[in-house]
Order: sequence, then structure tokens, then C-alpha cells
Amino acid sequence: MPASRTRSRLPHPGVIAAAGLISIMVAALVGLASAGGQIRGPAGSASGLLPSPYLQGVVRVAAWQAGLSTVLSLLLGTALALALTRRSAFPGRSLIMAVITAATVAPTIVIIFGVVTVFGRSGPVPVLASQMGLTLPAIYGLHGIVLAHVVMNTPLVARVMLGALAATPNEHGRLGQMLRFSSLDCFRHLDWPVIRREWPGLATFIFLLCFTSFAVVLSLGGGPANATLEVAIYQALRLDVDFSRAASIALFQIMLSLGIVLAFSLIGAGLPDTSGHMAARPRPDAGSRGLQAFDALMIGFAVLLIAPVVLSVLTGVGQLHSLANRQVLDAGITSMILAALAAIMAVTLALLLATAAESGPSGRSSPHRARLIDLAVLALLGLPPFALVTGLFVLLRGQVSLAGAGLVLVPLVNALMALPFVYRLIAPPLRQSTERHGRLAASLGLEGLARLRIVAWPVLKRPLAAALALSAALSMGDFGVIALFGGGDLVTLPYLMAERMGAYRIDEAGAVALLLVTTAVGLTFIADRA
Amino acid sequence: MLILKLLMAAILACSLAAPVSTPAAAQTKPVLTVYSYSGFTGKYGPGGKIKERFEAVCNCTLEWVATENSGALLGRLRLEGTGTKADVALGLDVNILAEARAAGLFTNHNQTTADLTMPAAWTDPVFLPFNHGHMAFIYDSNKLPIPPTSLKELVENPNGPRIVLQDPRTSQPGLSFLLWMRQVYGDKADEAWAKLKPRIVTFTKGWSEAYGLFQKGEADMVMSFTTSPAYHIGAEKKTNFKAASFAEGHYIYVETAAMLASTKQKELAHQFLTFMMTDAFQSAIPEGNWMYPVKTPAAGLPASFADLIKPAKSLAFTPDEVLAMRRALIEGWQNAISR
Repeated sequence: MPASRTRSRLPHPGVIAAAGLISIMVAALVGLASAGGQIRGPAGSASGLLPSPYLQGVVRVAAWQAGLSTVLSLLLGTALALALTRRSAFPGRSLIMAVITAATVAPTIVIIFGVVTVFGRSGPVPVLASQMGLTLPAIYGLHGIVLAHVVMNTPLVARVMLGALAATPNEHGRLGQMLRFSSLDCFRHLDWPVIRREWPGLATFIFLLCFTSFAVVLSLGGGPANATLEVAIYQALRLDVDFSRAASIALFQIMLSLGIVLAFSLIGAGLPDTSGHMAARPRPDAGSRGLQAFDALMIGFAVLLIAPVVLSVLTGVGQLHSLANRQVLDAGITSMILAALAAIMAVTLALLLATAAESGPSGRSSPHRARLIDLAVLALLGLPPFALVTGLFVLLRGQVSLAGAGLVLVPLVNALMALPFVYRLIAPPLRQSTERHGRLAASLGLEGLARLRIVAWPVLKRPLAAALALSAALSMGDFGVIALFGGGDLVTLPYLMAERMGAYRIDEAGAVALLLVTTAVGLTFIADRA
Repeated sequence: MLILKLLMAAILACSLAAPVSTPAAAQTKPVLTVYSYSGFTGKYGPGGKIKERFEAVCNCTLEWVATENSGALLGRLRLEGTGTKADVALGLDVNILAEARAAGLFTNHNQTTADLTMPAAWTDPVFLPFNHGHMAFIYDSNKLPIPPTSLKELVENPNGPRIVLQDPRTSQPGLSFLLWMRQVYGDKADEAWAKLKPRIVTFTKGWSEAYGLFQKGEADMVMSFTTSPAYHIGAEKKTNFKAASFAEGHYIYVETAAMLASTKQKELAHQFLTFMMTDAFQSAIPEGNWMYPVKTPAAGLPASFADLIKPAKSLAFTPDEVLAMRRALIEGWQNAISR
């Protein structure tokens, strides 16, 4: 049959997408490196050999900081998820989740100022502490960075774990009820297997996010003792204008990131499951008094830690009237268009990659290919957006204007930045559906789009909605990429916020922040109900 | 690499399609493209007024293109090389002029600089200043009634005010303060940093984060400009924000513009640089960019500038000196602060 022969010779579109992903990353690095060769820098900007003792020190400090942030985010996020699983129905549950999820997707600068508003010198926490006779140390330093990272990542962990816990087969819970499981039995037999499966992949992801953190580390770190490689790349690009050095540090960071991914993957477990269903499950241990207290404490603690940081944007309420102008409206529309484009690109890419990971050359799932695609997606976290954009621009210069390139590069790079998050939401449910229905689908001859529509769609509907919302919210909050292209026609809300801050108008910037966070909360809330 | 080519083709197609939306009327007039930074071209910056006033005399269209800051501006011009759309670059600060010169992209301004009202004579043939100011610590006099009167007092008093600074690796004001410390302390600057360290709240990525933290009450003083109080007086009618006057003198901050050698609008670019030295441009600076004009307009400075401190001495390194020692200074600073 000629038709089927042609089909088997064409690579899966997901494989093409993966190849595209890798070539974009390679191209960006090649572009950067070649720029360093072509543009003769001033004397004294010799590219350092890698890794210099300075960079080694940076890696050590960043690894320690990221390790701490990861452990704490995992513990708190998991405890929160367990508590929410046991207390599946209390009023305001989804609103609480939507509000704290905003901490994950809001612009970093909003979180930094939120942390300072709540925990800073004149914030409510130190003031309260001093009334009780305690003196808290200033927020700046390692603890400040870790605190901000925990605030940003705990909601992500909680979402992933909630989804995973909810996806455990119903029979397990019923069996537990029949066997009169104690709370400890419940944890050991119901929860622990899920935690064990999810933690390694989730830990890799959170670790890389914190390891490559930039603005939080600079602003809350208190000084150059706290640094990440991202800071060194920025310095090479902006202060030294030494592109080849930036490329070599970026390459070093990608290599390290891949090493971290491989190391964690040896511990076991694939990608964490984030298929955020928040379905109610009967829990045999829901009635335990001790657990009721523990859960109340955990939910209370997590909400009190994270929600105030998000809600601190409400200080912008007084300046809301400043939003009523043409410029803000235009920026809002631009933001929405760019975010929608980025979200569609990110979700399409993730879907392609995930289906490719699931369909090996012989129609069965191939673990090697799946692992390679996982690696490619996570490698994106190692490449700072400003390096990616600069590298791509080097290749495109002379052929296009930067303003024109921005129209495509901004949503594309935003999509790539959101991809690791989004892939996390889409790949696991698709894998589950392949495991459950793959053979049946194959025996019925279902392929390509038809298979996606009939087999995967019912499982993917909710994760896709969540992925769209999350990637749109992430792109709405992006400043790193738009900063390189902004101005002219491309003015987004975060760009406007930065511009207002740069012109002393901090209150007006606060009103824009309020608008951004409200949008993020709204998007998440709607997606959860889809 | 096929995918990459396809991607490039897509980007190319989109960017070719983009300029179609330009109004027909604008196409008949020549366009002068000026690269600047977003604070200058934004809603509250002087960019809008300057565009309006220049277009009234040039029979052309002035198009602003904004970058993040001075470093980003130079970086982008170096990336674009001779293929850049820019005719004029406006916003190169004095500390990166050596790199800017080495890039070899700019040509002489051919303007007379003898009559500038700046603290020191300006003789650079390529980079033409358009505004200036001095670095200074800003404080709230309601909260800090008696500020230090010298840099030495700030550094050496262990019970002195707590300050927020910008990171010299990512911010021009941050680098300027590093140079200021070097001016005052010379070879002993690293020791001075170590002494100051306990009272440094944090180093932020840029000026605005630092100023925001100060306004949130995180520090008693913030590194900024002697002209910052003019904003609070002029725009907010608040007189409690003041710049601390330091006996050793203040480090100078100058921003310049230059004409690209590759411009196809030589006459227009030249006309713009001439315009830059007139009252029409210079009078937009004080309450637009909150800096001093380089040539005081005939009408004088606005009332908000009347009570600002006037540094007794202006401190500065030449751009070449800055380039020669920047790396070593940053390393020394890193070691002194990390210890």
C-alpha cells in the first residue's frame, strides 16, 4: 500500500518539532558565539576560559540556594496538596488555588515587591514580630531568595501533586476503607507511591528554575555573594558587550542543566503528572482529628505565606484611575494578542512533542525517544531568554529589522519559555491514555488526528485548558523578552510597568501590576473550571 | 537546519509585512530613526515633546526606537552593525563611551560645545552630551533628619543610615557609585566597601528597583541623582525628599548622543544634533528626564530645580580610564562584599 509506506517514511511532526527546538537552541548559541568573533570588542574583553574559579563559585552558591528552595517548595507544596486532597470540599478552595497560582506566573518584579511589602522592614510580618519581642533579620540574603522561590514554586508543586494524587485509581481508596487504614497506612500505601513517583521529576524542574533565577537573586540576594550563572551571562551581554563570553557561559549553564536532568532521571521516574483534576475522592483518613488539625495548619500556613505576597498588589487600587488611558488599553490588547499567540504555540508544540514521545517508530511508545524529548524540553530552562533572543537576532540581522523580528520572536521565545511548564501538564495524561488505550487504538487502526480526537481528547481536555491558561499567564507576565524588543508598536503591560517605574511613577506601576495579577488569577480560575 | 531556514523565512515574511501598516502620509516625508532608552521615549519622558517640536521644524518624521538602557542601546547597535536602521543614538552614558568609540560606528557631530553650561568643558568630537547630573544619595528628611555630610562619614559610621544600591554589573548608576568610591578612596576602595557593607540593604538590578525599595521604606537612603528631589517637588509637591550633599564632591553622570556613520539621512541627523542644543530640546529635559540640560534655556530652569544641592566638586574618570579599570574594580568590589 503506497499510502502507508509514505506515511511511515515521513517523520512524526513531533520529531520535527523536537528537531526544530534543538536547532533553535543550537542556532542561538552559534549566533552568539559568532557575534563575539565578528564584532571586535575593546581591549581587555578577552573571553575567559571556562569554568573560571569565579564561575565555579557561582555554581556552588546557586546550587546550594536552588537545593534549599527545591526541598522547601516540595515539602510545603506536597503537604498543601495532601491537605487539599483530604479536605476536598471547602468553600473557596479553587479561589485559593487560583490566587496562589498567580505567584507562579506573575512577573518576577511583582513577586519581589510583594515579598518586600509583606516581609520587608516596614511590612506586617517584622512589625508583628517586634510587637512580640522578636527581631527578624532583614529579608535580603540567602533566606530572602529562598523565601521568594518557595512562594513562587510551592503553588506549582501543589498543583502537580494535587493532580497526581487525584489520578490514583479510586479502588485504592475504597480498598483502604475496607481494610480500615490508619492515617499512617494511608500515607504509606496511598500517598507515598505517588510522591515517590512525582518528586524526582518535579525536583529537577524546580531546581532548574531556581538555579537559573535572575532578578530575585539580584534584588533579594543582598550582594554579589549570591549569584547565578544567569547574572554572569547578563553581565557579559550588557556590561562587557562580549557576546562570545555570554555564549560560552550559556553553553556551560545548559550543560550543567542537562547534567542535573540526567542525574535526577537516574533516581528514577519520568515526567511528573500535572493533569490538574481536582476531583473529590473518598479518603479513609479524612475523619482523623490529628490530621484535621494538621491539614488546617498546612493550608493556613501556605495561604498565609503566599496569598499576602500576591494580594500585596492591592496597594495599587488607589491608582486604578491611572489605567484609564489609551496607552494602557493598547498595551493590554498587545499583551493579550502576544500571550494568546505564545500560548497556542506552546500548547501545540507540547502536544506535538508529547505525541512524538508516545509513538515510537514501530507504533509503540519508545522510552529512549521520550527521554530525549524530555531532555530537550528541560534544556530550554538552561538558556536565558535574553541570550536566546540575542543569538537568534545575530543570525537574522541584515535580513530583517529588529522591530519586525520582534513580532515573531517575542511570542516564539515566550512560547519556548512556557514550554517546560506546559509539557509538564500535557505529557503525563497523554502517556496514561497511551498506556490504557494504546493497543486498542492500534488494533482499530486509529492514527494521527483521529486517534488524538477519539482516544486522547477526553483525557486531555482539562490539562489543555490548564496549559493554555498557564502559558498565557506566564507570557502576559514576561519582561525578559519584551525588554529587548519593546517600544514602538510592541508595548506590553509589563513593559509599561517597567517604564513607569523608570520614570519615578511607582504607584502607577503598582496599578499595572494589579491588572496583571488579576488577569492571571482570572485565567487560572476559569481554566480550573473548564 | 531546514527548520531553521523555514523559521527565518517566516520571520522574514512577517517583518516584511509589518511596515505596510505605516500611514501613507508618513511615507512621503523622510524618516529620522533615533534609538534611545525607554525612560526617555516613554509617556513621562521628554521623547514625545521633542518629537513634536522637531517635526514642526524638520519636515520629517522622527521615529523613536526604545531599548532597555544605555548598555542595551550600545549592544544592539553593535549587533546590527552598519546595517542598523538607526540614524542617531541618544542615551549613551559617559561610562561606556570608550566601548562605544571602539565599536567604530559613530561619526563626528560637528557641533560647537564651547558654550555648554556643564561643570567641566566638553571636547569630545563624536559624542555630544544632551543632559547631565550628579550622583547623590536621596533620603526622606522626615525619617532621617541629619544625613551624613560626606562619603567618608557614610562609610565610616557603623551606626549610619542603611542604603540601597544598584549592582554595578547591571546598572549605570551602580557603576557610577563604584567609580565614585574609587575617586574618594583610591586604592583603599575595597576596604571602604567592606566597611560600608553591613549597612547596604541590597544591590538591585536597575535604578528603578532600588528607588522602589527606598520608597517602600526598606532603606534610609538610595543611590540616585541630585535632581531626584525635583521630581518629588515638581510632580508630587513633596519637599521631604532631599539629596545628601557630600563634602568630597559628587560623581558626574552625562548622557550623550551620536550620529551613526552608516546613516543615509546625514543632513537630517545633523539637523537633529543641532536641534538638540537649542531651547526647544533642552527645555524638555528638566521635568521630562529629571536631569540638568547641558545648555540652560533662556527661560531658566523650572522652579522645582531651584532648591537642589549644587555639588562643590565634580568627580569623574575619563571613559578610557573607566574601560581600563572596570573589570578590576568589579572584581575588587565582588571580593570585598562577598567576604
